[in-house]
Amino acid sequence: MKRKLLMTVSLLFAVIVAFAQRSVNGSVTAAEDGSGIPGVNVVLKGTTTGTTTDLDGNYRLSVPEEGGTLVFSFIGLAAQEVEIGSRSVVDVQMIEDVEQLAEVVVTALGIERESRNIGYGIDVLEATELTKARETNIVNSLQGKVTGVQITNTGGNVGGSSKITIRGVSSLSGRNNPLWIVDGVMINNSQTMSGSRIAGNRDFFNGAAVINPDDVESINVLKGAAATALYGSRAAAGAIVVTTKKGKAGKGGRATVAINSSVRFDNLFRVPDYQQGYAMGSNFKYDSTARGFDWGPRIAGQTVENLPITGETGALTAVDDNGVNDFFETGVTSINNFSVGDADERMNYRLSVTSLNQTGIMPGSSLDRLTIGLNAGVNHSEKLSSKFGVQYIKSQSGGTGVTGANDPNIIGLGSFSSTLDQRQFQNWIDESGNQINVPTRAADGTPTSNNPYWIQNENLNDREDDRILGNFEVNFKPFDGFQLMGRVGIDMNDDKRLITNRKGTALRILGNFNSDNIRRQEITSDIIASYARDINSDLSFNVLAGFQFNERLFERQQITGNELLIPELFSPGNVNQVVASRDYSSQRLFGVYGSAELIYQNWLTLTATARNDWTSTLPLDNNSYFYPSVSAAFVFTDAFNIANNILSYGKLRASVAQVGNDTGPYQLNFNFFPITTASGQYGLNVNFPFQGQLAYAATSTVPPANLLPEQQTSFEFGLETQLFDGRIGLDVAYFKNINENQILALPIPQSSGFAFRRTNVGRVDQEGIEISIDATPLEVGDFTWNTTVNFSHVESTVVELSDDVEFVTIASAFNSVQVRAVPGKEFQLYAIPFARDSASGRPLIDPNSGRRIPGTAKTMGTVLPDFTAGWINNFTWKGVTISSTIDMRWGGIIKTSTVEGLQTGGLAAETLRNREGTFIDASGVIDNGDGTVRDNDVPVRNTQDYWTALNDGSVAEPYIYDASFVKLREIGVSYSLPENILSGTFIKGVQLGVEGRNLALLYSKVPHIDPESNLFGAGADGFGIERASVPSTRSFGFNVRLTF
Amino acid sequence: MKKIKILILTAVVLFAGFSCEEALDINTDPLAATSADPNAVLPYVLVQYSNRHVTELGSRIPDVSQYFSDTFNSPKNGTTSIFLTGNTWRMMYTQVLGNLSLVKADALAAGATSNNVAAIATTMEALIYLELTSIWEDVPFTEAVNAQEFPAPQFDSQETVLRGVVALCDEAVDLINTRQEAGEFNVSNGDLIFGGDMNKWEKFANGLQLRALMMLRNQTGVDAEIANVLSRPLPETNADAAKLEYSGQAGALNALFNLIQTFFGGTNETSNVYGPGPPLYDLLVPTGDPRADVIIARNDLPGPSIDAFPSNSTAVLSNDVIRGDFPDVWMLPAEIDFYKAELSLKGVGAAGDATTNYANGLQNIMTWYGGDVPGATASIAQADIDAFVSAAGAPSLDDVYNQEYLAAFLHPILAWNHVRRNKVPVLETPPNSNISTYLKRFNYPPAEVAANPNTPANKLTDAPMWFEN
Repeated sequence: MKRKLLMTVSLLFAVIVAFAQRSVNGSVTAAEDGSGIPGVNVVLKGTTTGTTTDLDGNYRLSVPEEGGTLVFSFIGLAAQEVEIGSRSVVDVQMIEDVEQLAEVVVTALGIERESRNIGYGIDVLEATELTKARETNIVNSLQGKVTGVQITNTGGNVGGSSKITIRGVSSLSGRNNPLWIVDGVMINNSQTMSGSRIAGNRDFFNGAAVINPDDVESINVLKGAAATALYGSRAAAGAIVVTTKKGKAGKGGRATVAINSSVRFDNLFRVPDYQQGYAMGSNFKYDSTARGFDWGPRIAGQTVENLPITGETGALTAVDDNGVNDFFETGVTSINNFSVGDADERMNYRLSVTSLNQTGIMPGSSLDRLTIGLNAGVNHSEKLSSKFGVQYIKSQSGGTGVTGANDPNIIGLGSFSSTLDQRQFQNWIDESGNQINVPTRAADGTPTSNNPYWIQNENLNDREDDRILGNFEVNFKPFDGFQLMGRVGIDMNDDKRLITNRKGTALRILGNFNSDNIRRQEITSDIIASYARDINSDLSFNVLAGFQFNERLFERQQITGNELLIPELFSPGNVNQVVASRDYSSQRLFGVYGSAELIYQNWLTLTATARNDWTSTLPLDNNSYFYPSVSAAFVFTDAFNIANNILSYGKLRASVAQVGNDTGPYQLNFNFFPITTASGQYGLNVNFPFQGQLAYAATSTVPPANLLPEQQTSFEFGLETQLFDGRIGLDVAYFKNINENQILALPIPQSSGFAFRRTNVGRVDQEGIEISIDATPLEVGDFTWNTTVNFSHVESTVVELSDDVEFVTIASAFNSVQVRAVPGKEFQLYAIPFARDSASGRPLIDPNSGRRIPGTAKTMGTVLPDFTAGWINNFTWKGVTISSTIDMRWGGIIKTSTVEGLQTGGLAAETLRNREGTFIDASGVIDNGDGTVRDNDVPVRNTQDYWTALNDGSVAEPYIYDASFVKLREIGVSYSLPENILSGTFIKGVQLGVEGRNLALLYSKVPHIDPESNLFGAGADGFGIERASVPSTRSFGFNVRLTF
Repeated sequence: MKKIKILILTAVVLFAGFSCEEALDINTDPLAATSADPNAVLPYVLVQYSNRHVTELGSRIPDVSQYFSDTFNSPKNGTTSIFLTGNTWRMMYTQVLGNLSLVKADALAAGATSNNVAAIATTMEALIYLELTSIWEDVPFTEAVNAQEFPAPQFDSQETVLRGVVALCDEAVDLINTRQEAGEFNVSNGDLIFGGDMNKWEKFANGLQLRALMMLRNQTGVDAEIANVLSRPLPETNADAAKLEYSGQAGALNALFNLIQTFFGGTNETSNVYGPGPPLYDLLVPTGDPRADVIIARNDLPGPSIDAFPSNSTAVLSNDVIRGDFPDVWMLPAEIDFYKAELSLKGVGAAGDATTNYANGLQNIMTWYGGDVPGATASIAQADIDAFVSAAGAPSLDDVYNQEYLAAFLHPILAWNHVRRNKVPVLETPPNSNISTYLKRFNYPPAEVAANPNTPANKLTDAPMWFEN
């Protein structure tokens, strides 16, 4: 009876309630782009009645007949309360919540967290920042925009590499590149050389360069060991976490279709200040073959019998800018992207196709890249979901510029002479296939130098790179708060290069080729179980445990052919000599990791992580290493309830972490290797079998006895504040990393019979501060000016090496120029200076010649900057956005061989001073031989002698400059057509843009060239050394984006 | 639910547990071997030594002893770029001596049937240490190539090193004399110098000992030891020449020619890369030496000056000696003959008659260029040789020194040693030189300086070595 009564009452109540209710629906969209936001909490204020929006951002909710207020909330967006009134449709646009700074960041392993709960430094770069002015190498897009990163590239090479380092350098063995992760999967960012980095460097792009900016949702830059601890040791130099775009529904539940087209034009960024007064030749005597040596007679329109190249009689005249603008072309880049995406409650997908077609400033240079990306996900049930992403990237490049020295294919700025009309080179080959329009030897017509168009058109530097990045992920949520995730990812790379010298190339007169096939494969799988729970209204926690398997494989086969029969047939059957080589390595790693996070009232977060790795590359009985991290985030404005209009938000963060690192494969055993080449000076090698005999040689490295894992200990403290209602944001970080037990092939006395001993050695400390200020100085009506300044100072000091080792060579160039690690200092440029009087420091002069005397090689200063900074401005007014980026690098030095060539060759304007006279090098002193010196009183023989003798004895000092620069890096203007213009059409949005990159050098002490140029490329730590780099470019372009 | 959790955790732990150990045991390089046969290691040692020797020393320092007129990246003006011979140092100590020590240790452990292998390794060690001390004077010897015991080897005086070379030669000869030929290890394939002919190795070892004793003799009394070695088998005919032959095919080219072919095309006579230095030209051309037409082309024209490359208006080294299949020669019997002539003139009775030795030397060196050198492309009529030898008559000491110098043509270290030891021919200080005389030594390579605290301070590059005072 009692039960019946209860049922009756309940039913009655339900009917009453049902009768008193109505339904309201609507859509929640992002103010930024109008897209639907799934997962927004919609709650009837004061009740527990609520729902969440579906994948299109739509919701439906039963509400009381009258009145009521809906509360819309979502992490990272400003909550809104909207009175329902009598409406049945309530649409809401949500905006970012700057006050709460509820920014979502992607942390290690792809875990999303609220920024306020993070106890370490993370920088986030949104998609829009990457596509304001597209770069063909995504690394360059980060320049000036992320605090604490340094970007270096080799110059204006099409399809070239770019190097990124985070918070300075930590490793003596080249492990200074951050780990790249795409959608939770580690990918390869290495740069493998074909041949030498200094003798004819072909700078092919680094692994991460293939990431397509149009497919990137966000880039999270994780700095410091606490941020990256869960990734394990490979992220000791930081991690760059790329999240790709997922499918979203458009307005009205339709598919999102977008077409983006950019076209860009590249020209020389900087033209050397060439002198135009004196002709090719020496000692005022004209010589038509003296390319890049303009010490000839004054150009006065005089008639000469043998003009350069043509040999005709005619008037000697100077060519504007020595013809560089005749030779270097306008590069054209077109980037076209088509994407279609859709989503509903069950499924989402996004397909993207991007075609990048670039021609460079070097004639015949090109890069073509096709990227096809597919991301899709399915909610199989409330508990089970899966998703996958596949990107296929095919890159083809050709005509890559050759840099460095000792290669006939180098076309440096030092080969452009005042009276050499580059247009005379434009015919480079005759009908018989012979090289023409170059100086030839009278005896047999052999070229003595090369026509640059022959180099660019007949000699190949081709690369074909196929890349597949794939991931598959399954999520299972058996009960509230618990999630089990399995993920497997693969990075497959098939990289084929063909480098050739056609028969008839001067200095490679018989021709040769190198066919280089490289295969890389990396598989990573993770199983992660996580559990999150609110213990009570104040306290919540989440824990995570995971297991990872990683396998890396590298395989390479090369065929080198020498002495071609048919001049342009690059086949092993067409050469007199074939040398084949093979390389293979594989390594595996198992990791077990865990994390626990405790959150109190959402203002105090304590996070602890731990990971243990087992690696195949360390001794089997000692291949395990453990590393922990602890971090804390404390939002003091909430804790002390002091948030006000002035101090809107304040957070302190602190972390300490330790990570370990293994070493490369096959470094533990004493081995003999089969040898194919007996090396010689100038690359004059001979090969085995020799007289029919094979050859084996022992390793020159003493294997390690008890190798320990490398160890990095990292401390970080940070302060984040929002002032004046979020108008000004300030983020300050202090960090210190101690990198110990570095695994290094330490140079040992070669007289011991070995050249290296692999061991744990050395310590490098990184200490620095980072400051980022974000402000909205002006917000008037529709006009907003947002400005961001970032600054970072880091000192990467080599604290110690080994007791009996004075230095470790990090990178080595020509003429004694090296980058060295020296205890107590940052990475140093090591080079030969002038000999100097010890008392006054003035250069010593040779009393016989009036020339400066070469000294002994020494460290000349650090190649690393004191600080880097960026200044980004965004102005928006209605549909118009103007953005600019200025970035600077301050401190550090660079040795430039291009400037050396311009000066010793008499090409540079400064060599005009006293051109026809003589002078005394007044800065020098002469050693009297009795312990005293006198002011130099011996004139140089002539001006030519002064400049050409400056680098005698491989002296590098005159060509070492302060590498500081300030650059106007980027300007973008975009305009979005008002929606009302497009209403009634099938086009939902039109955005037009003008973009420019690398626009102006606002400050630099380096003459003639771009101070950013570098010889070595992304795969080495050869900071501060430039030699015959391909000139960098200034770019202007246009962009159209249509959405449907 | 609990069951699911347990299941998952168990799976993870099991997967991690039993598969880890095996899966991680992959750190063995599939492209490397744990041991190597001497017939595989010796070719590496011999060819790597030769090619580095010819490309780095052979192409760069012949203008120091001035048998070339000029070379690329030459140190002759006194500035030895600190990197100039770093490759040679590394080659000699790590690539050659390091591998030889492994070969030798294995051979000694194998017993008398491998004495031949041990003797070859020991003789090569003697050759390398002799060259090391010739380039840098004080070098590690007693503590060298023993990384376990001496991670930072002490540098030994030149006298110690030279005496060590003498001892190594004795050791090699002793090994040869105590061979067990029954069941002996067959090293004929790996021995690219003598094809396993240990009689020739014995002569070479004795010849090297005499070469070292001649340097010691400048400073210290070693005539008894010289008499001893003179009584032992020494290279007598050109068939005893120690040399590595190059086939002249791609991948097996003499580097002097390879440099021309790779960078300039054509030949030395068309590309004008190597010219005769003034002493070489003056000793061969005006004297009517039959070798002149083999060694120097266009020798009716003047020779280039010491700081100039040849041109079409100067003499040039001929294609008969700058060719792809010209051997890299380590010892010729003429060297021994001229030592004997020198010793005769200096009163060492065991050396025999000076005139006979001198004539033997001339016969040997001229028949070498006249046809004995592998792949000879020129010939010298025996009658011309006989006439020249006959006319030469009894030599003066300077005559002997000059012939020692001429016989060392294309031996960069030996020729340099001769001029430093004999001071004949007299070398002019090169123009624009930073030093007072011709180059006397190299600075230590920076890699050794940095890693080995026992490396002595560098001396000035015109400071004479101990053996030449």
